[in-house]
Amino acid sequence: MRSIKHKIDICAAVAHVTIKEYLVYRSHMMVSLFVGPVYFVVQFFIWTAVYGDGGALVGFEYEQMIRYFGITALLGYVTWNSADWNLSMLIRTGRYLTFALRPLNHRFFALSQKIGHRLLAIGFELIPCTFIFILLFGIDMRPSNIGWFVLSVALAFFMNFYVNYCLGLASFWIVQTDGIRYLYALLSTIFAGALVPLVFFPVSLQFIQFFLPFQYISYVPVMVFLGEYRLGGFTLSIPAIVGIQGAAVIVMFILSEILYKSAMKRFTAVGA
Amino acid sequence: MKKFFNIYFTCIKTAMARALAYRLNFVLSMLIALGWNALFPLVTILIYGAGASFPGWDFYEVLLIQSVFLLSTGFAFMAFNGVLWSTMHHIREGSFEIVLLKPISPIFFMIAANFDPECVGMIVGGTVLFTIAIVHTGVASVMAVGQFLILFTAGFAVMAGINMLMAATSFKWVGNSRIPEIFDSMMEFGKYPATIFPKPLQGIAAFVFPVSMIGFFPAQALLGDLEMYMIISIIPCILFMLFGIFMYKHMIKLYEGVGG
Amino acid sequence: MQIINVKNLTKTYITHKRGSGFKETIRSFFKREKVIVNAVNNVSFTVEEGSITGILGPNGAGKSTTIKMLCGTLFPTSGEITAMEFRPYADRKRYVGEIGAVFGQRSQLVWDIPPIDSFNMNRAIYGISQADYKSRLDELAELFEIKEVMHKPTRVLSLGERMKCEFIMAMLHKPKIVFLDEPTIGLDVIAKAKIREFIQKINATGTTFILTTHDLEDVKQLADHVIIINHGVKVFDDTLQNLQLNLGEKKIVELTLEEPFNNSVLDDSVRVIEQKSPLELVLEVDVSKTTIGDFIERLSKKLSISDISVKELPMEEIITQIYEEEKTED
Repeated sequence: MRSIKHKIDICAAVAHVTIKEYLVYRSHMMVSLFVGPVYFVVQFFIWTAVYGDGGALVGFEYEQMIRYFGITALLGYVTWNSADWNLSMLIRTGRYLTFALRPLNHRFFALSQKIGHRLLAIGFELIPCTFIFILLFGIDMRPSNIGWFVLSVALAFFMNFYVNYCLGLASFWIVQTDGIRYLYALLSTIFAGALVPLVFFPVSLQFIQFFLPFQYISYVPVMVFLGEYRLGGFTLSIPAIVGIQGAAVIVMFILSEILYKSAMKRFTAVGA
Repeated sequence: MKKFFNIYFTCIKTAMARALAYRLNFVLSMLIALGWNALFPLVTILIYGAGASFPGWDFYEVLLIQSVFLLSTGFAFMAFNGVLWSTMHHIREGSFEIVLLKPISPIFFMIAANFDPECVGMIVGGTVLFTIAIVHTGVASVMAVGQFLILFTAGFAVMAGINMLMAATSFKWVGNSRIPEIFDSMMEFGKYPATIFPKPLQGIAAFVFPVSMIGFFPAQALLGDLEMYMIISIIPCILFMLFGIFMYKHMIKLYEGVGG
Repeated sequence: MQIINVKNLTKTYITHKRGSGFKETIRSFFKREKVIVNAVNNVSFTVEEGSITGILGPNGAGKSTTIKMLCGTLFPTSGEITAMEFRPYADRKRYVGEIGAVFGQRSQLVWDIPPIDSFNMNRAIYGISQADYKSRLDELAELFEIKEVMHKPTRVLSLGERMKCEFIMAMLHKPKIVFLDEPTIGLDVIAKAKIREFIQKINATGTTFILTTHDLEDVKQLADHVIIINHGVKVFDDTLQNLQLNLGEKKIVELTLEEPFNNSVLDDSVRVIEQKSPLELVLEVDVSKTTIGDFIERLSKKLSISDISVKELPMEEIITQIYEEEKTED
């Protein structure tokens, strides 16, 4: 009990510091208020043209497709993080040592940091952009089931964090991790579902996504928002897919735990 | 003029030598750039693959627009994109004086010194897509090729203007690495057949922030579908470039006035 | 009472030769040549509770490797370390909660916000109660004279002010041992003096200090126990008094003259170490036999000097002298 209270205390203090730190750059965050809606406008007209007189495309009605892109854009503000880059910079500059010198698990520190950063993003990016989407474009922003949706978004946040943190850990072994990170960014752009709903891809490619992290970061919560989930020829109930998403996050967490442990072993052996 | 070319080519040679010194890194970053290029027409491919389309456009016509867009941005990034990052760096470190100390025009120096050979990847990718598209669509006439080259040059001018505007912004918005996102988002309007957008947006993309000239108009020339307003919009393109250059120079003047 | 006990500490690194150029890089990708580096070799010593121990040595001697092992962030290849009731590398997380550390160039402070916020973060990390935190911070802020400074963003602080804040950051949780890696590096003379003064004040409250440095002055002003490491091997381990007895009180004087040097200034307190040219030379002055003031006065009467500088004995010189000392003892 005491240790949980202590953890919450650390998380709050680190998040607070992070919020203060990034508050200095809030004007950078507000770039999203322009960029987000502009990208959305382009998407809007692309799909309006494609749908033409109506009908359905790969099982999506026009209305759904527009909501899909609206919510995808907004979701990004909650799940985005740069844990990979931050960690690899700490290792490359040798500043990681200052964390090893404190009674602290760095992954927990980084997670707290990202929670703080996202709280700020909710204030400066998510809420204003949501208003723009609702008021300017008249998009229906009511999730089919708020409870499952919030849970799925939280899981997506954790998924993205653990994956990025693992990419950052690679810096303990490899000096230049830019290549790996770019490759991951490329794959995740394609397969997270931000470009098009994943059901556009060939069925075999869709099926593989159950075993890769990408869909759990964006496609799953967005489909939970819309209230129906289909991929790789399967139609799953919302509780079922959120359950799978939860299992995927646990697997990723265990993976990051193993990687973190062996990274610490390496750090204490060679000092990075 | 000869002096300018001399300096420029010396800078290009240095940039090439620098890039080739880290061959592995150069090859890797080119491959990654190629990967991103493959991504570029992905949405279009998937839309047409699902049996849908942009009304009135077949797949290869859209691919042609997008490949021209890619080529234009590839050439322009190679020539100008380094100016933004270098300006941003100098402003943050307070070292822009180094540029001002050179006995040549600072804007010319920044362009020459920041030539980026790594954008070759984009140009290669653009060329491949362009070839695939043009084989299927064909070229309307010899005249069309001439018109294409003229409009492509105008599109390059727009890209030059955009890059100068970005660099100018970085004088005021110190250290904001998200500046390119703002311009990237607006350039999105140039990637697709402009006819999918409502008339007011088409007007803006042709005459105010003339991004249609980057991909759409030159592709239309090749397809033989050129309209009068597209030719007229060469004028705002040139003006846009001049505006970009003016803004960058203006920011340098302000910088000199304040003295860092 | 001993607070740290180090026995036969050894750290060996295996690194790989890295080729330069494309071909070499590819080749080394498949077949790598191993290079074994003995960073620390069979070092033993003890540290008394409440003392200030200086670990001295030139760059790359193994000081940093040693202090990292003492802090628990680096595993020894062999040997034993006992600090308080811990084995640092085995009980890292519990152990580092009881120590403090400042590693010169690696800041714990968050760049864009005031140090006070970073302090509060460490309060949470070390689980310090609000009441303890408040009284401790008041006390330290008073001592370090940073009551106003700590409310300004870190990025606008001077290097000296930042260093003070690093110290506070590492001492909020009342560590029993504090490790300092090059604490005065890059600071100006006044800031150095301040930092040394603070170390002494905190030490007076019973905190044990261990610091690495390549600045002899740090050790002279602070340490009561000196360990010198060179090429990973301990070459000296004794009190400061004995080090000074060993070395004598010597200073280095670099001279540039306007006319060729003549031997008339030399006596038993002065010897020539190096003569770069007839007009440039380096002297060693034994200040236990004469004062620097007297020496310069005498010098300026006999020679016309265009430039002069007085320095501490460089690390390399100290080590050479210690080796010579050992040889004569054998």
